[in-house]
Amino acid sequence: MSVTQGAATDAPPFDASEFEPIIDGRMHSRWIGWRLRLLVGLALAGCLMLFVAVRALVAVPAISAQWQPDAMGRAILQSSDEPLLQSYVGQPLERVTAGGQSVAVDAALVLGTPRWTVDDVSRGELLVRRAALSRLLADGSLTLHFSDMPPVSVAARTRGVGGLGLSFWLLVGPALLLFLVGATVLLAHPRLRSALYALMAWCQALSLLWIGMDGSRGLSVLAGPLIDDMPWRLGLDLATAAAAVHLFAVHPVRLKPWRVVAALAWGAAALGVVLATRGDVYGLWWWGQGLLLALGCVAVVVLAWAYRIEPHPFAAVMRRFGYVVLGTLAVVDAAVAAAKWQPAMAFDVATSAVLVWTLFFASVLVWVPFLSRSRQLMREFAMLAGLSTVATSLDLLFVSLFSLEPFASLTMAVFIALGIYAAARQWVFNQMTGSALLTTERTFEQLYRVARELQEHPERYLALVSRLLRELFEPLELLRVPQASPQARVLADGSAMIVPVTAAPDTDGTPVSLVLRFAHGGRHMFTRDDARLTERVVDQLRRAVAYDRAVERGRTEERQRIAQDLHDDIGARLLTLMYKAQDPEMEEYLRHTLKDLKTLTRGLAASEHRLSHAAAEWKADLQQRLTAAQIDLSWSFSFDQDLALTMVQWSALTRVLRELASNTIHHAHATQVEIDASLERGVLSLRVSDDGDGRDPAQWTHGLGLGGVRKRVKLLGGEVRWEESDPRGIVCRVVIPALVQHRD
Amino acid sequence: MAVKVLILEDNPVARSFLSRVVRESFSDANAITEAGDLESARRHINLTGGDHGLHGVDPFKLILVDLELPDGNGMDLLAELVHYPATKIVTTLYSDDDHLFPALQRGADGYLLKEDRFEVLVEELQKIVRGQPPLSPAIARRLLTHFRDSHVADAQAPDSSLMRATTFTTSRPVPIDKTPDHERLTPRENEVLTYLSKGFTIKEIASLMGIKWFTVNDHIKSIYKKLNVSSRAEAAVLASKQGLV
Repeated sequence: MSVTQGAATDAPPFDASEFEPIIDGRMHSRWIGWRLRLLVGLALAGCLMLFVAVRALVAVPAISAQWQPDAMGRAILQSSDEPLLQSYVGQPLERVTAGGQSVAVDAALVLGTPRWTVDDVSRGELLVRRAALSRLLADGSLTLHFSDMPPVSVAARTRGVGGLGLSFWLLVGPALLLFLVGATVLLAHPRLRSALYALMAWCQALSLLWIGMDGSRGLSVLAGPLIDDMPWRLGLDLATAAAAVHLFAVHPVRLKPWRVVAALAWGAAALGVVLATRGDVYGLWWWGQGLLLALGCVAVVVLAWAYRIEPHPFAAVMRRFGYVVLGTLAVVDAAVAAAKWQPAMAFDVATSAVLVWTLFFASVLVWVPFLSRSRQLMREFAMLAGLSTVATSLDLLFVSLFSLEPFASLTMAVFIALGIYAAARQWVFNQMTGSALLTTERTFEQLYRVARELQEHPERYLALVSRLLRELFEPLELLRVPQASPQARVLADGSAMIVPVTAAPDTDGTPVSLVLRFAHGGRHMFTRDDARLTERVVDQLRRAVAYDRAVERGRTEERQRIAQDLHDDIGARLLTLMYKAQDPEMEEYLRHTLKDLKTLTRGLAASEHRLSHAAAEWKADLQQRLTAAQIDLSWSFSFDQDLALTMVQWSALTRVLRELASNTIHHAHATQVEIDASLERGVLSLRVSDDGDGRDPAQWTHGLGLGGVRKRVKLLGGEVRWEESDPRGIVCRVVIPALVQHRD
Repeated sequence: MAVKVLILEDNPVARSFLSRVVRESFSDANAITEAGDLESARRHINLTGGDHGLHGVDPFKLILVDLELPDGNGMDLLAELVHYPATKIVTTLYSDDDHLFPALQRGADGYLLKEDRFEVLVEELQKIVRGQPPLSPAIARRLLTHFRDSHVADAQAPDSSLMRATTFTTSRPVPIDKTPDHERLTPRENEVLTYLSKGFTIKEIASLMGIKWFTVNDHIKSIYKKLNVSSRAEAAVLASKQGLV
C-alpha cells in the first residue's frame, strides 16, 4: 500500500499503523475525561505533598541566622533576626551548648551537607555533630559560644512559613513544574517509557526541593533519618540515571537485551544506595559520583547503540544532551572535589554548583518532551542553559582552584563563556539542536528550481515535491501513504513528519501523504517550524500548479475558439471560392490554401501530436494525393523515440511534406516518389526524391511553395537542400538537428 | 429505375457541386432532391416513409449529409436515420476524427471531404457505394480504442496501446461476462485496423497479411458494421433506460 522511494533498502519497512493513532488526530480529544481529571488530581497531590513538606520544615526548631565560612573553615555569623545576636555579627561561632552537652560548630555544620562532603572522615564527623545539634535544638534553649565573646543564650523556635527564605520558594517553582511535566507525559501515553520519564522528572523535582530546604536552614538540622541525606539524595540521582538507561534501552529503539541493560542499571543504582546507607565505605562520595557518571555514560552508549540500529534523530539529540549533562556534571564534581583545599569557598562551590547543575538538568528534562515543538525555543533554551552552566562551572572552578576573588572569577568566567559562545555559536546551534544546515539561499535555490520544473511538467507534481522535501530535509526514508491528513505534522518524537500532498489535480484525486523519516540521515529532529515551512512550500507549489493549469486551459480554449472560427468562416468561404474558380490553377491554389488553413486550425486545436500518429497521417495523405496523380509512393519512416510533436513542429512538418509532394506532382512529371525519414537521437532527417524531369535546382525560383519549405525548416532549426539525383530527378534533403528539445 | 438521392447542404454552390459529383458517379438516371437545412430534409424523408423507410414507399437510396447546418447538426439527422435503408455519407470540411468518428458511430457509411477535387470525390463516392469505405489512420486509431474500451474493463491511455491492441484477443483471458460477438473485433479485423492506423493502404495491408485486397476490404466493411451495430445497441439500451422504447 505504500511506496518506498529510494529508501535505504535495509531499512525496516514502514509500518503505517505506528502513526495511525496520531494521524487520526485524536490527540486533543484524548485530554477530555479521565486524563484531565487525573492530571488535576496529581497537581493537587503535588501541592499537598509540598504543603506537608513545608509544614514539616517549618516545625523543625531553628535559630535564624545566616553564616559565612572564613578561610579557616569557621562559621562567621553574617546576619540574624534574633535581637540578642545582633552584636555578634561578624564573629565566628565555636560551639553550641545545652543541658551540659556541647557541639563544636564550624562552617561544615551550618553550610555543608553530607551529600556533598567529599571526605569520608569529615562526613562521619559531620553526621555525629548533626545528630547532636538536632538533639540540642529539640531541647529548646541553646547557648552559643562565639570566640572572644561572652556566650549568649538563644531560644530555638519553629520557623514561620516566611522564615523559609526566598531561595526555597524560588526552587519550589521549578520542582512543581518538573513534577507536572512528568505527570502530563505519563498521562498522555501511559506506557513504560512515559513512566520512566516521569520517574526521572519526579526524582529531580525532589532533589530540587531538597536543595531548597537545605539552602535556608539557619542553625538547624532536619531530624531523624534525614540527618544523613546522603542515601536519600544519592538515591534520587542514581534512580534518575538508572531510569535514563532503562528509558534509552526501550526508546527510541527497543534493544534486544533491554531487560539485561535495565536490570544492570537498576542493580547498580540499588548497590549505590545500599553503600550510602551503610555509610562505612571508603570514598563513598567518589563511589557515588563515579556510579552516577558511569550510569550516565552507559545511557549515552545505549543511545549510540540504538542509533546504530535505527538512526532515530531522538537518539542523536538525546546523545548530544547527554554529553553536555555528563560533561557539566564532571566539571561540577571536579569543582566540588577541588574545593576541599579552599575551605572558605568549599560550601559556596558545593551549594551553587550543585544547584546550577540540578537546575540545568531539570530544564533539560522539562524540555525533552517538547523538543520537536519549536526549533527556535529549543535553540535558545539550549544556548542559555549551556552558557550559564559553563559560566557557573568555570566560575566555581576558578574560585576553588586559583582562589580568585569571587567577583573577579565571575567576571572572567562570564567573559570566557561569552567568548566560547561567540566563537562556537553556529556550531553549537547545529550540534545541540540539530537545526538544518540549510542556508536561506540554498533553500530558495532549491525551491525556485523545483517551481520552474513544476511549471514545465505539472504532471510530475508528486515526484517533484518529494524531491524538494528530500533536498530540504535529507530524510533517510520518504514514503507515500495513501491517506489524507489535515496538515503537515511532526510525528513520533520528531523522527517523522507527515505532509499531506493532494495528488496532481488530473489524477483521481486520491489523497496522498508523504511521510519523511529521520531528517538529515537521522541526525536531526523535525520540529513544528519544519512542518509549518513544509506546509507553506507544498501549498505554494500546489497553487502554482493550479495557476499554470488554469492558464494553460485558458490558452487551449482560446486557441480552439480561434481555430473553430477560422475553420468555419474562412473555410466555408474558401470552399465557395474554390467551387466558383474559373480555371483549374486558381482552383488548385484555393484548395491548397484551404488545406493549409485546415492544418493550421488543427494544429491550433490540438496541443500535441505523437510522431507515430503524425507519420501515419502524412503517409495516408501523401499516398492518396500521389495515387490520384498516378505516382507511386515508396515510404519509410523510422524513429527511435515516439516523441510528442509540438503544434509548431507538427504543422511545419506537415506543410513541408505536403509542399514537397505538391512540387513533385505539379512540376516533375514523376512516376515514383521515395520518402525516407528517420529520427535518431533527436535528429530528424528527411529525404524526398523523385524520378521526374526536374534539373538544376539552383536555378529554381523559390516561390510561395519552396520558399515556404525553406522558411518552415528554418523555423525548426534545420537545413534544406535540393540536388539533382542520378540518373534523373531531384532529391531534397531536410535535416533538423534538434527536434527533441532538451527539457531538463 | 432512377436512384433517389438526397443532398443536405446549406451552401448552394457546394450543393450544386455535390449534385454534379453524384450525377457523374452514377450512370443511372438520378432523382436528386436538395435540402438546405435539417427541417426540409426531414420533410423530404417523411414523404418517403419516415425514419425507417416504410415498405412500399420509394425511399432515398443515397443521402449526403453536411455536418454544419444552419438549424442544427447533421449528426442529429444521422442518429434519427439509423434504421433508414440508405447509404448515408457525411460531406464535410472537417477531416479530423473528432468530427468524423461520431458520424460513423451514428451509422454513416463513409465520408467525403468537400475540398477534394471533383474526380477524387467521384471516385470516393463510387467506392463508398460499392462498399469500400475509407478509413484514415486517425479514424482507425479511434476504432481500435473504441473496440478495446467497449469490452476491456480497464481502459488504457489510447496512445500507449497499439501493441496491446493487436495481441489482446489471444493473450488476454476471456472476460467473465462475455460481450456479444457483434461488439468484438476478430483478430484479423484488429490487425487490419492496426495497419490502417499506421497509414498503410489496403493494397499494402493485403500483401503484408498475405490475403486478397477484397478480403481486407471485407474486414473494413465488417468493422464499420460492428461499430454501427454496437452503437445501435448502445442507443437501444439508452432508449429503454430513458423509457423511450
